[in-house]
Amino acid sequence: MSIQNLNTFDPFADAIKSSEDDVQDGLVHVRIQQRNGRKTLTTVQGLSSEYDLKKIVRACKKEFACNGTVVEHPEYGEVLQLQGDQRENICQWLTKSGLVKPEQLKVHGF
Amino acid sequence: MDEDMIFDPSLKKKKKKKTGFDIDAALAEQENTSVEAPAETGDVDVPDDDNLDLDTFGKKKKKKKKFFNLEEIENALPETPPAEEPEPQEEDAVDDLVLEIDFSKSKKKKKKKNNVDDLTVEDDIKGEDQENVEDVHGDWIGSDRDYTYDELLERVFDIMREKNPSMVSGKKQKFIMRPPQVVRIGTKKTSFANFTEICKTLHRQPKHLLDFLLAELGTSGSVDGNSQLIIKGRFQQKQIENVLRRYIKEYVTCHTCRSPDTILQKDTRLFFLQCETCGSRCSVASIKSGFQAVTGKRAAIRAKTA
Repeated sequence: MSIQNLNTFDPFADAIKSSEDDVQDGLVHVRIQQRNGRKTLTTVQGLSSEYDLKKIVRACKKEFACNGTVVEHPEYGEVLQLQGDQRENICQWLTKSGLVKPEQLKVHGF
Repeated sequence: MDEDMIFDPSLKKKKKKKTGFDIDAALAEQENTSVEAPAETGDVDVPDDDNLDLDTFGKKKKKKKKFFNLEEIENALPETPPAEEPEPQEEDAVDDLVLEIDFSKSKKKKKKKNNVDDLTVEDDIKGEDQENVEDVHGDWIGSDRDYTYDELLERVFDIMREKNPSMVSGKKQKFIMRPPQVVRIGTKKTSFANFTEICKTLHRQPKHLLDFLLAELGTSGSVDGNSQLIIKGRFQQKQIENVLRRYIKEYVTCHTCRSPDTILQKDTRLFFLQCETCGSRCSVASIKSGFQAVTGKRAAIRAKTA
């Protein structure tokens, strides 16, 4: 016989899990940076480390026809870098592939 | 509300008599209005038309006062358009500064410019309005029919709008500010000319807005001597507007009631947004620039660090 109230509940279960996600608030930040001339760079920060970012970048490169890399950052973990303004593309792609929920995405820049 | 309405016509009357103004027609209409006004107070629920009436009453008072003074001074020439002209302009200036704008103001301006001659016109308008009102309320008062939900809803909102216009969100809480003036300097820099002015209208520290802008745009920049912001990179006004809008949404308007009347205060390393209207207090996201990729010349960076 189990009484639900008597079940032990770990209030920190969520906290522990989310801290493991190496993301502060579970948000995926999509940013844009201007380079010289009309060139731009799109960075995606905060993707869960459960995923193989190398594979993701490979797929993205093919999909958006751009170059890209994965950069290791001491504070922010692995960060995806894509050439050009791929904010729209990457947002659509990430939600479509189910890697990120739309409410987790946070797009920065102009 | 009723008291006001009863009160106003009498005031108006007094003033009109004091002035001993030359418009006989106006006097005649005045009587009309005084007859009509009680009728109007009879059926309390007059939504927009009441507003209109009140507006016109207020205006008449002002006008009368002005002309009264002028007459005392000059004893002649009841119509002095140049004396009135400056006021609307002043109001313009105020409009720009003040964030919320009643839409009654535009009406006022128009009517003020028209001068005394339109007293008669106004009264005519009012007469029409009241006719309309009676038309509208004819089917309310006489019949026993059930009121439809839409009608009642409209009525409630009309009354709300009339009694305290600030409460009905969406109507009055319009957030109007000057557009940012963004000018390109050379090919690589952008100037945000009215940066400090915008900070003032938003009641935010320039530093806070600066941090946000630079973090969002992923660039560097600074405020120069002419209190304009110089940002590295090419940006257009539309893009800056976009970022500003996001800033306002996050750091200026209250998250609960969306009123822009808020104070941003720092408390134990966190920023809290305190609303002056509804009293809510909530923490806002800290400004983080996040990951910044290397966009400059690597050789230069290596030279700097080494």
